[in-house]
Amino acid sequence: MSKDIDKSGDKTGDEPAAQGWSRRSVMKVAAGAMGALAMPAVVRSAQAAEVLYVNTWGGTWEKAAVKHLFEPFTKETGVEIRTVSPVSFAKLAAQVRTGVYEFDVTTLGGGDIVRANAAKIIDPLAGSPLASAGLWKDAVFENGVASHAFSTVIAYRTDRLPKGGPQNWADFWNRQEFPGTRCLQRYCARVLPLALLADGVPQNKLYPLDTERAFRALERIKPDLRVWWTQGQQSQQLLRDGEVDMIGIWHSRALELIDQGHPVGISWTQAEIDRAYWVVSKDSPRREIAWKFIQSAVQPERLAGFCREALYGPLNPAAFEFIPKEESDRMPTGPRNYPLAFEQNVKDFGGNLQKVTQRFEQWLAS
Amino acid sequence: MISTTVRGASKPWLLLLPLVLFLSAFFLVPLVQVAMMSVTEPEPGFGNYAHLAEDALYLQVFLNTFLTALGVAVCCLLLGYPLAYLMAQSSPRVAALLMLLVTMSFWTSFLVRTYAWMVLLGNNGPVTALLALLGWDPAPHLLFTRFSSTLAMVHILIPYMVMSLYSVMKRIDPALLRAAESLGAKPWSVFRQVYLPLSAPGMVNGATLVFMICLGFYVTPVLLGSPQEQMVAGLIGTQIEEFLDFGQASAMAMVLLASTLVVLTVYHRRFGLDRLWG
Repeated sequence: MSKDIDKSGDKTGDEPAAQGWSRRSVMKVAAGAMGALAMPAVVRSAQAAEVLYVNTWGGTWEKAAVKHLFEPFTKETGVEIRTVSPVSFAKLAAQVRTGVYEFDVTTLGGGDIVRANAAKIIDPLAGSPLASAGLWKDAVFENGVASHAFSTVIAYRTDRLPKGGPQNWADFWNRQEFPGTRCLQRYCARVLPLALLADGVPQNKLYPLDTERAFRALERIKPDLRVWWTQGQQSQQLLRDGEVDMIGIWHSRALELIDQGHPVGISWTQAEIDRAYWVVSKDSPRREIAWKFIQSAVQPERLAGFCREALYGPLNPAAFEFIPKEESDRMPTGPRNYPLAFEQNVKDFGGNLQKVTQRFEQWLAS
Repeated sequence: MISTTVRGASKPWLLLLPLVLFLSAFFLVPLVQVAMMSVTEPEPGFGNYAHLAEDALYLQVFLNTFLTALGVAVCCLLLGYPLAYLMAQSSPRVAALLMLLVTMSFWTSFLVRTYAWMVLLGNNGPVTALLALLGWDPAPHLLFTRFSSTLAMVHILIPYMVMSLYSVMKRIDPALLRAAESLGAKPWSVFRQVYLPLSAPGMVNGATLVFMICLGFYVTPVLLGSPQEQMVAGLIGTQIEEFLDFGQASAMAMVLLASTLVVLTVYHRRFGLDRLWG
């Protein structure tokens, strides 16, 4: 009886057990399936604090940054980096305004960082983990950390100017000696210093800019300025397709064309340096990690790797220990080219940049 | 009671609800925000609008935008009319084929078509090569001129014109033309006195559509046009990207919107909005 009961008990115990087992197995499968669906979400929420959104320029820039700056940082800290493109100053301003953060970290140029700092849309360095990190001299500027530089150089079509192209901005402005179409970036703060150099102002007396004189100088070559470039890609295309004969272009874009075998020459004399600074979007929920990332991104070896691949010049001097000479000769901040170049004084521009830019736009349209 | 409400049979306007919600969320609300920004940034008041009226650059750009839009509308009409006429006169099969050719350019993105023109009109492009071959020396620069941007915009907008014209021409009763002929009118008179007036609504529709769309063009004039001939949309972009001047940009956007509404109102008074899409 008891055996029976036991048996039946066993049986009944078995059956539900079997059922339970099968139910459990079903549930296991279901749980597994749900887990497969839910896991990423779980992982995502568990690591919510461990993701950093970095605003990048896309293309070569992003490729080099992923390899030399993002992946090493992720390996070291476990923080996943997601990229957002393209770099947009307007978006940086908008996200502080709206409180919706699309990216936590971005790079800004010299003029933009002064504007951004004044507009209080970037995070102050004071109080950040980086404040006491002991960076090199001149590393910090307007709450940004200097990373790399590019320069606006003169490039020209060697097939159109077989006797040699313009070597400095005075040459670039010389329409008799160097006839042909010209092109500059539609970016007033970068163009006006070039016009003054062309007009004979010494490099060390450029700033504050004499805007009147600059516009008068620009007027001289206006007939040859058929188009103004706004995107790096576009500047390259204009020179590659021979739409223009001479151009003020970023050095990396010109070097790429030369490397591809296009008939392009370049002059490093009076190269106009633009510094890029890492900044953190103001009040970003991930600001702590953001600053840690920046600290890692300007380490000499990582920065050197990034600059070598993306054709920039590192601003951390220690990075040159990791760069061979033939490559540093292709960098605006390298030992050979830096003495030829000039830096912009973004803080003492000479007048209200917005007003001058408006005048520049007006001048363009007239 | 409840069931009819649920089914919505007696309230067909409920069908509109999703669209209304969508438009409110993604069009009306942002639009109101833009309108607010234009009078609140950087400070409350109509300073942005006053500035627009004072600054010679804005007036020039607005004027240029209107003239360009007008030019594009006229070019579309001149080029589209014969094509639409041919389509209306052809057999349905030929008409369908022609329509396919016209609408085909709709399937290619704006940007691709704009870049295609850059390749075609470039210094090393086939058009310049052809002109040089014909003895034009030195061959003219075609790119970055009013010519190149107008050409590209006409190319992009001509389908609207052709479709507006075709839908009206298709409905013209051929009996009227035959009647005119039988009363002794010469072909040209038939066209001028009968066909042209009957197809006028299509011309007005098409021109209005093209004009209004063209007013807001951005990419094409920026990439193909000359820096001397900017259009308003490009300037709005500059205001935001270069100057972070949301207020000024918003004011310009509102003025552009208002101009479009004025055109629409005039059209509505004269012809009735319901006829705009044929």
